[in-house]
Amino acid sequence: MARMKFLCDADRCIECNACVTACKNANEVPWGINRRRVVTINDGKPGERSVSMACMHCNDAPCAAVCPVDCFYTTADAVVLHNKDLCIGCGYCFYACPFGAPQYPKLGNFGSRGKMDKCTYCSGGPEGADGSPAEFARYGANRMAEGKLPLCAEMCSTKSLLAGDGEIIAQIYKERVLKRGYGSGSWGWQTAYQESINV
Amino acid sequence: MLIKRSDAKVQKSRLQSALGELSSGVLDRRSFLRRAGFAAGAVGVANLPLGSVKRAEAAALTPGVAVKTVKSVCTHCSVGCSVIAEVQNDVWVRQEPAFDSPINRGSHCAKGASVRELVKGTRRLRTPMKLVDGQWQRISWDVAIDEISAKLLKIREDQGPESVFWLGSAKFSNEGAYLYRKLAAFWGTNSADHQARICHSTTVAGVANTWGYGAMTNSYNDIRNAKTMVIMGGNPAEAHPVSLQHILAGKELNRANLVVIDPRFTRTAAHATDYIRIRPGSDIPTIYGILWHVFENKWEDTNFIAQRVYGMDDVRKEVAKWTPDEVQRVNGVEGEQLKRVAYMMTHEKPATLIWCMGATQKTVGTANVRAYCILLLATGNVGSAGTGANIFRGHCNVQGATDAGLDVTSLPYYYGLAEGAWRHWARVWDVDYDYLLSRFDSKTMMEASGIPTTRWFDAVLAKKEDIDQRNPVRAMMVFGHGGNTVTRMPEMVKGLEALDLLVVADPHPTTLAVVSERKNGTYLLPICTQFETSGSRTASNRSIQWSSEVVKPIWESKDDYEVMYRLAVKLGFADKMFKNIAVENMRPVPEDILREINRGSWSTGYTGQSPERLKAHMAQQDRFNLVTLRGKGGDVDGDFYGLPWPCWGTPDKKHPGTHILYNTSLHVKDGGGTFRARFGVERNGATLLAEGSYSLGSEIKDGYPEVTLGVLKKLGWDGELTEAEAAVIAKIGGKTPDAVAWSTDLSGGIVRVCLEHGIVPYGNAKARANAFNLPDPIPVHREPIYTGRPDLVAKYPTLPDFRSFRLTNIGATVQKRAVDLGVTKNFPIVLTSGRLVEYEGGGEETRSNPWLAELQQDMFVEINPADAAARGITNGQMVWVTGAENNSRAHVKAQVTERVGPGVAFMPFHFAGWFQGVDQRAKYPKGADPYVLGESVNALTTYGYDPVTAMQETKCTLCQIATVAA
Amino acid sequence: MSSLALVKRIVLAGVFALSMHAASAQTLPDDSAGRPAAPATGLNTDKVEVHEQQLLGEMRKLQGFITIPDTRAATLVQPDGRSWRDYRRGPLLWITAACVLGMLALLLVFYAVKGEIKIAGGRGTATLLRFGAFERFMHWLTAASWCILAISGLNVVAGRAVLLPLMGNDAFSLFSTWAKYSHNFLAFPFIAGIVLMFLVWLRHNIPNKIDVEWFKQGGGFIGNKHPPSEKFNGGQKVVFWIVVLGGGALTVTGLALMFPFYVTDITGMQLAQLAHGGVALLMIAAMLGHIYIGSVGMEGAFDAMKDGRVDLKWAREHHSLWAAKELAKSGDTSPHPAE
Repeated sequence: MARMKFLCDADRCIECNACVTACKNANEVPWGINRRRVVTINDGKPGERSVSMACMHCNDAPCAAVCPVDCFYTTADAVVLHNKDLCIGCGYCFYACPFGAPQYPKLGNFGSRGKMDKCTYCSGGPEGADGSPAEFARYGANRMAEGKLPLCAEMCSTKSLLAGDGEIIAQIYKERVLKRGYGSGSWGWQTAYQESINV
Repeated sequence: MLIKRSDAKVQKSRLQSALGELSSGVLDRRSFLRRAGFAAGAVGVANLPLGSVKRAEAAALTPGVAVKTVKSVCTHCSVGCSVIAEVQNDVWVRQEPAFDSPINRGSHCAKGASVRELVKGTRRLRTPMKLVDGQWQRISWDVAIDEISAKLLKIREDQGPESVFWLGSAKFSNEGAYLYRKLAAFWGTNSADHQARICHSTTVAGVANTWGYGAMTNSYNDIRNAKTMVIMGGNPAEAHPVSLQHILAGKELNRANLVVIDPRFTRTAAHATDYIRIRPGSDIPTIYGILWHVFENKWEDTNFIAQRVYGMDDVRKEVAKWTPDEVQRVNGVEGEQLKRVAYMMTHEKPATLIWCMGATQKTVGTANVRAYCILLLATGNVGSAGTGANIFRGHCNVQGATDAGLDVTSLPYYYGLAEGAWRHWARVWDVDYDYLLSRFDSKTMMEASGIPTTRWFDAVLAKKEDIDQRNPVRAMMVFGHGGNTVTRMPEMVKGLEALDLLVVADPHPTTLAVVSERKNGTYLLPICTQFETSGSRTASNRSIQWSSEVVKPIWESKDDYEVMYRLAVKLGFADKMFKNIAVENMRPVPEDILREINRGSWSTGYTGQSPERLKAHMAQQDRFNLVTLRGKGGDVDGDFYGLPWPCWGTPDKKHPGTHILYNTSLHVKDGGGTFRARFGVERNGATLLAEGSYSLGSEIKDGYPEVTLGVLKKLGWDGELTEAEAAVIAKIGGKTPDAVAWSTDLSGGIVRVCLEHGIVPYGNAKARANAFNLPDPIPVHREPIYTGRPDLVAKYPTLPDFRSFRLTNIGATVQKRAVDLGVTKNFPIVLTSGRLVEYEGGGEETRSNPWLAELQQDMFVEINPADAAARGITNGQMVWVTGAENNSRAHVKAQVTERVGPGVAFMPFHFAGWFQGVDQRAKYPKGADPYVLGESVNALTTYGYDPVTAMQETKCTLCQIATVAA
Repeated sequence: MSSLALVKRIVLAGVFALSMHAASAQTLPDDSAGRPAAPATGLNTDKVEVHEQQLLGEMRKLQGFITIPDTRAATLVQPDGRSWRDYRRGPLLWITAACVLGMLALLLVFYAVKGEIKIAGGRGTATLLRFGAFERFMHWLTAASWCILAISGLNVVAGRAVLLPLMGNDAFSLFSTWAKYSHNFLAFPFIAGIVLMFLVWLRHNIPNKIDVEWFKQGGGFIGNKHPPSEKFNGGQKVVFWIVVLGGGALTVTGLALMFPFYVTDITGMQLAQLAHGGVALLMIAAMLGHIYIGSVGMEGAFDAMKDGRVDLKWAREHHSLWAAKELAKSGDTSPHPAE
């Protein structure tokens, strides 16, 4: 069965942060909440690689597994979403998430967190109507319902960040690596999906 | 096996089962989508035409409200990314990727992906403001325009027109830039400048003096054809991120070499196949170091040089001095590394050279650029696909505003300031030349270069006798220009405080509004962004794109056109200035302004790009090829995208524009060209015209001069002019009709006839390796004014003091004093500056955009771990950076990183709102302060100006860094 | 249409950059004959191998540079999250079951075998003041907050398995929200109680030889002899130290979790959570025993925390040395009659 994934081609990522602001733009994410971010490994040294990272929508997602109130669910596109009505803001998903995806507005007592927010793969939330204002206000855009991919990937400056069916984007990446002769791999895939793209 | 799969079973939680009813419709449809995609397969779908991409469903942000889709162009850099806006009720509700644009194909950088925020405008200036005894007061537009005009007229009466400085913007549309230049002309001064002065003025001077036009020769897209790309003095990964799409695609598809030569290990360098770290300010030695190997190994393109280059032998003599040892002594690079670059540029061709402000913002900027061009000429890498001087311009319309003559040395479209140029534009504008003359102090002033923006405050503070105009500057009209992008800010602040009138017309208050202690005589006018108006803008590659209005101007802001018109009315020349431009509701119609440009801009070939053609290009972007930019089908068949200038002839001639300048493999009617004959036909007995090289289909199989009526007569082609054309020429020429040239012939007849015969109107010359009219005809290395290597100054001193642009340039004196005083003892670190991807220019606009500001919240200085350790500085600590002049200092965060080499520090130039350690947030009008403030690097930068263009030195100065204030 | 649109969007996101133009691609050998080799100081960044798995092998956690102030965002990948998840979903549930259900079962068996430990000869009339009002206050302060903390804590671990199916999503989330709030707020009275008990009772809880003897005799649980004991016997001292040390550990780890990232990083928080849960479960087991012996397990024991006065006979049986000392201190060998 096909499933939606992200793949960041670190050999193309230039840390331009388009994905970050595209996410803010598409979902009206407030200051301090970073559904997506770009991390640079070996900054300023040979071997510098930048990787854009958000929720990887893991299989058997750790966040969902550890959630005390079971507020996560997985769509048929294999997108991992959560229900903010049920979330109690306990922060467990952040401990479990290998990618630091869950974000919390600091609303609660003692530095506690408020309801968790994270990348929805531009798939909105569990509200009834796709793309409704209510859904947008709580979860952000529902581009998938319109046949569009997450805006971060669609706007990536160098087409480094790929989104789409895992099989297709893996194929794209593989072709790229074969063509150019190098590739630092599919960052996060081993951890998220227990698989990697071998070229 | 491609993918090793473990159990990828999709889990479905209880909740989803519970919600299944609600969402099953969506899920089913999605499953269908995927299955379809799966069946098509990756390779199959790859070949689907782009044009058929359609949105599956209408957006549903506010259900039931119509969605209008508008195509505009990003306002943040010269790449020219298309932006698609979805608008409901005049609110920009969604931004969508513009997949059809051949330039960006949906992509953006951080700035482009956040432009929707600009018209939300949370921190925009909302109303006109006036500073009254140090307090901002809200005023109406009428009051603002009345008071400003009255003050301007008073200054004009008391001091003369030269005492007003008109600082314009590279963020104007072409129409806005042209209008602003026209406004200054009608006011009666040539002191009308814009950001090009501080970004690529040296490029324009250096490149135009080499082969005719001062612009990028090829395009971002064409870089895909290169086999060797050399980026020297540029960091496009941060400055032009979307260009990296083309660069990296070229690198990957061609397995091309990507050589990055820079003092700093930039985000671009991280993708290089060869990264070469040089000492800041040693560009010419580096280029000559490469050329030394080219000549030594006889790798130069002898045929190209013989046919198309003048004076290369003079270069050889200079290059011979730059042995690998001397090069290494000066720039620190091993000979073998440069030999490798020399090999690649001559054997793995086509090769292109890409540069930006690392080359240009130097006291030797023009010479640097000239050296770059010479390297391209010697290796035969100009004038064909995959080659060229790919100069990445800065602001979104800095190319267009430069072309439109928003420059102190020229009228629009590079006509210069001589009487002939004024008479040409007087004809275009349909005003008397004598009227224009009457607006100036004198004919001399009318033909004298104005004061450059790098030195306006020197022109304020100068004594009357030290400045070559009637009086010093008393008023600054600043449209869309930051104050922290110009060096020597402490002195600029003094200049600000000495002004009678300061007007800042901008979406934001900008640094100029807060940095000084002015108490009165200061006005802020809220100008809308280009998303709130319409007009054309020229991308770096000379493609012109029409940008449509997304929403009406927000708050009380107005567009540039309207504000200029209102000013012109009050200043008393609106009727003459807008004689042939329609004005609707006080707003001049940009389409009409463009038509006037089309009528007059023969020299640059801005004549064929009518608003109608440009709009057709925007609407049919999907028809253009990604690599060749050539259109296929529809109204745009055969056109190059955006009709890159020169686009010869009137719009009805359907010239396709010129994708690659000086490309002899195409017919001139089809976008071909030759090097421009701009500097005469011979010098010292040697021809300046091409020999045996000509563009495809040329009836003259050799070089030829620029075409005048006289030349046409000699060729016997004058009879082909129509009666109407001949009449226009006769009228223009008066007693000397033969002197009427292709560039001043408003009938377009000469150009038309030339094209019919396959010859290029501007002639067919050699490019000049020896530019005999420049201070250094052959570029020579000169150490920066404040150099970290005073030992080299004796051998490589800067030019002696001289006068230019109405002021004295005392670079040599300053350099000598710095060396004599041993400035490097107190300021041992070389300070260089540059860009961050999140911010643009002075940064007021981008630091006011929360989506961007969140990503860079602190001004910082990059310092090498060795230098940091020696000073006890740890990463993230606040430190004081002190500059070599004015006891300047800045309190910033230390970023300890190997991006910079030992002895070099880097600071970004986008910050302001802190000055000399003091937070100035309280001085902004309420609610218009940017989210992020910080110290400006230009508070620390020092004296130093290019002799040709007065470009400032931002890349090499000296500083000290310490944990405590000195 | 929409299917094609989505696929095209994927394609736009990447593939045609290559395939549209593949025809013109021409492979250059890496070092063509004649091209000078890059000197050691030259850098070919593509040739510098960087691979995630190799880096993870070296560092466990992948960290890099980020410009936003949120430093935890600089952690790119931390696969330990999965290990933590595995622990939480597997072992932790079993440990919970063992500690809670196992201990309850053990006590049940003990009760069945042993029944209530009676005061020999039944309650007398004389009583002795064992705990003053303040001592009782701090005990109950701790005990009450502890119970709610334990229940709300257990809810986090096992509520999803036990309560959710019974309550349904909405009700369970509401309950868990309140449970979370109580857990956060009641931590402070609990900490206060622990601190007070430590200060007030420390001097009675220094282990000594009498305790060794007490343990040798099995605390009187084995056989019918009651070994001599001071105010607190060996078993009670163990409870004291479990409470003080365990409570201390819970305080430290709990505060670290309550103020995320102020104290430690993600790995530290995972470990803190691990320790918090583990210690809490051991304490739950121990406290179940404590509650048992303090209530149904032993006749007369509960009185000490009810009104503070214990049956003199009980006192002499279980705390003979203390009882003697108390009587001596009052200078009156004849105990007060019970009221």
